[in-house]
Amino acid sequence: MNKHVKNVTPETTDFSRRSFLVGTAATGLVLGYAGVPGVGEALAAAPANFEPSVWYSISPEGLVTVTCGKADMGQHIASTMAQIVCEELGAKWSDMRVNLASNDPKFNDPVLGAQITGGSWSTMMNFEAMSRAGAAGRMALTEGAAAAMGLPPYFKDELVVRDSMVTHPKSKKSMSFADIVKSGKATKTFTPDELKAIKLKTPDQYTMIGVSVPQIDIPSKTNGTAKYGIDVMIPGMAYGAVVTPPVRYGATVKSVDDSDAKKVPGFIKAVTLDDKTQTTTGWVVAVASTYANAKKAAAALKIAYDGGPNAKLSSQSLLDEAKRLQGLDDSGQFFVKDGDVSAALGSAAKVLEAEYTTSINIHAPMEPMNATAEFKGDILHIYSGNQFATRSGAIAAGAAGIDPKFVVMHQMWLGGGFGRRLDADMMVPAVQAAKAVGKPVKVIYTRENDMTMDFSRPLTYQKVKAGVDGDGKLVALSHDVVSAWPTQRWGIPDFLSPSVDKKGPLDAFTVNGSDFFYTVPNHNVRAIKNEMAHNATPSGQLRSVAPGWTFWAVESMIDEIAAATGKDPAQFRISLLDGAGKNDGGAQRLRNTLLAAMGLAGYGTKKLPKGEGMGVACVSSQERATASWTACVAHVAVAPSGEVTVKKLTVATDVGTQVHPDNIRAQVEGAALWGLSLAMHEKATLKDGGIEQTNFDSYRPLRMSQMPEVAVAVIANGEKATGVGEPAVTVVAPAIGNAIFNASGARVRALPITAEAVKGAMKA
Amino acid sequence: MPTLTINGRSMSVDAANDTPLLWAIREQLQMTGTKFGCGAGLCGACTVHVNGEAVRSCQTMVGDVAGKKITTIEGLSAKGDHPLQKAWIAEQVPQCGYCQSGQIMQAASLLAKNSNPTKEEVVAHMDGNLCRCMTYSRIQKAIMRAATEMRTASAAGNERRPT
Ligand code: FES
Ligand code: FES
Repeated sequence: MNKHVKNVTPETTDFSRRSFLVGTAATGLVLGYAGVPGVGEALAAAPANFEPSVWYSISPEGLVTVTCGKADMGQHIASTMAQIVCEELGAKWSDMRVNLASNDPKFNDPVLGAQITGGSWSTMMNFEAMSRAGAAGRMALTEGAAAAMGLPPYFKDELVVRDSMVTHPKSKKSMSFADIVKSGKATKTFTPDELKAIKLKTPDQYTMIGVSVPQIDIPSKTNGTAKYGIDVMIPGMAYGAVVTPPVRYGATVKSVDDSDAKKVPGFIKAVTLDDKTQTTTGWVVAVASTYANAKKAAAALKIAYDGGPNAKLSSQSLLDEAKRLQGLDDSGQFFVKDGDVSAALGSAAKVLEAEYTTSINIHAPMEPMNATAEFKGDILHIYSGNQFATRSGAIAAGAAGIDPKFVVMHQMWLGGGFGRRLDADMMVPAVQAAKAVGKPVKVIYTRENDMTMDFSRPLTYQKVKAGVDGDGKLVALSHDVVSAWPTQRWGIPDFLSPSVDKKGPLDAFTVNGSDFFYTVPNHNVRAIKNEMAHNATPSGQLRSVAPGWTFWAVESMIDEIAAATGKDPAQFRISLLDGAGKNDGGAQRLRNTLLAAMGLAGYGTKKLPKGEGMGVACVSSQERATASWTACVAHVAVAPSGEVTVKKLTVATDVGTQVHPDNIRAQVEGAALWGLSLAMHEKATLKDGGIEQTNFDSYRPLRMSQMPEVAVAVIANGEKATGVGEPAVTVVAPAIGNAIFNASGARVRALPITAEAVKGAMKA
Repeated sequence: MPTLTINGRSMSVDAANDTPLLWAIREQLQMTGTKFGCGAGLCGACTVHVNGEAVRSCQTMVGDVAGKKITTIEGLSAKGDHPLQKAWIAEQVPQCGYCQSGQIMQAASLLAKNSNPTKEEVVAHMDGNLCRCMTYSRIQKAIMRAATEMRTASAAGNERRPT
């Protein structure tokens, strides 16, 4: 997470000033922070009817239900939160349940002050708060048990808490959590200082953290019972099918002829969106009694559009504009400015220059975007799986023309997120259709809507210049990054970062990663906004965000320098990871990770046949402040035709502390395959202002038959837990590019990598 | 009004014959375990069985399956304990889980015919089912685990009948 992020909403919950309450409610024991600072103590006096921000509850049957304020999109974060609570609470794992939070600010992230899930931040940022909440619960239960067993309070240190039981070994008395809850004796208030003073377990005392417990959500995902946004059913609801214009952004509807749609049985109305939030442009929703009929009606609508200002643009126009902007001396703002790059380049013995590009990429989670909106009295209820409830609630409110405080967002399981569900476009048609027809409406995007209206990973263009001195030492690096600015689009100033040259805020989510841990004395990074791309292809955060392209450039260029100076690319990296100055700590961890990957892959020891090669890359995704350490060795075979077969990916990652080893492996493997998919298979293009790919026949994520062998080494060295869902995405493409060079001498600089490009580079 | 036999029950659905089975099952009969992914036969999320064969319900019209035996994920086993479902839990396959009903139904049609598939047969049979979370290797492992269990069970004489 960007360290400049503070308060996204005015209702930010600052837990450092809140009391933590344990009290009895109708449903059992509830545990959470007091709703308003200072009120906690007063409420604690009347525990039967207080309503704290419930973080978890314990039912009279002893079931512990943890409320998860994070979006669960397959990273099993809800289960992980339960695991962290369970560790300190001393509950039995089979007693743990999870619940997905509404958008009430009380469930905001304790660090971010908002409900947002992304950047692999969740475990990292919630570990301590959830641990303290668990420990506070254990203390309250222990004291409650002492009282209920008739032991004097000072006996509480003799009580043992384990598997949802509190036992007093000396007197052989014991009580289950269920019975303690039923006794009503477990009531306690912790002041912020008391909460902070709780001594948490040390890693050697863990019995749950570090154990691959069965994920709580998995059984429901094998029998069809897990409820995603698309599965919501509201009595009396109608369905909306969206008709989106041929242009990604900027079109307007000139006229809608619904005469044929009216012949479709169950057709209710065609609603042209009036989207003041400007999330969508030129959309129409066909509303009907069933989804099948809504789709028929949508197909029957005759809509005339004004294509707007972007209707002529193509991928090529965006790339040309990027090159033009990069060529200007005064474009953009500096993200990094160390030393004197132009002087160092001027006196360098050798200067290398290269351009790297990445194509537009589409999130395409398997669950297409959808939302269900229902107006009930003054309240607008939204049912949708979403990664950014705080902002999405505001967009839904904007679409409805009401105050955000009247919006209740009901979180659902996410059928994939990858950053796509940080956006709220799907709420707009649902809200406006529900308003227009006076019924709840469920809007489901077709895959075609979903692909052509994605908030895509932007097309990027990067120019890198490197200066090497007479000894082959890298002395200067200048790196320009031109892209749309996905995070600036949110309009939330706190998500932007100040520029080093004080030219106003920049979107660090377009350049993160370029501030690497290599020691390069003279280093510039310039973030240049491609306004044309920004307007024509409103971009979003795609799994791993900027490091997905910045490391493509950096890690390819490092390889090019190694080749130009006759060094082994892995050894060259190790020499740059010397840990000098600000890189101390991180550089060494990254170096160790690289060594681990090299060892596991047999880098430099395995004899490879002709036409095969290995390439390395190492990355410090995400942001520098929340970096994690990942390295990859890719093993490829390159045919004379340029056809590349990825034979094996070996990924090593330093995760600090493992909460759930098996989940880390699943996430890292999934991320690595995402990286492969983006590197070799996924490409979207813009033509006449519209995205050309509409379904999985033309936009082709990796399939089972394309999967190489993947080996994962997880390094758990006891440091703080880092995020694992994203870094491996970023390391794979450069490792493959470098392996192709190693195998064939062909240097590729554009993603995705095509056989044509490889063959072309071979001849050169 | 077509009548459909789904999971052994006869249900009538107020839908035109040219309605994709997917939407009738999901939105009208409200059995939401079957998922919509692409609507074009390209992802497999909507896979159900018709007379024991895995089909894409988004490409199957209601009018074409009247009188046939339809099985969805909800009806694959009585208690979510088909060997594949158990294997899916044992291998902790699902991430977001959205594709997994379709994956399991697709895999079930393979194991019903071939309880000793090779890796290549598994890949060939499963390649039409996308998993955006990329859980492919665990899917493979889970299928192999379930196949082993089914062979052991059948050797012990308590064979399951294919759905
Ligand atoms: S939804 Fe039927 S194959 Fe994708
Ligand atoms: S588990 Fe998410 S799409 Fe397969």
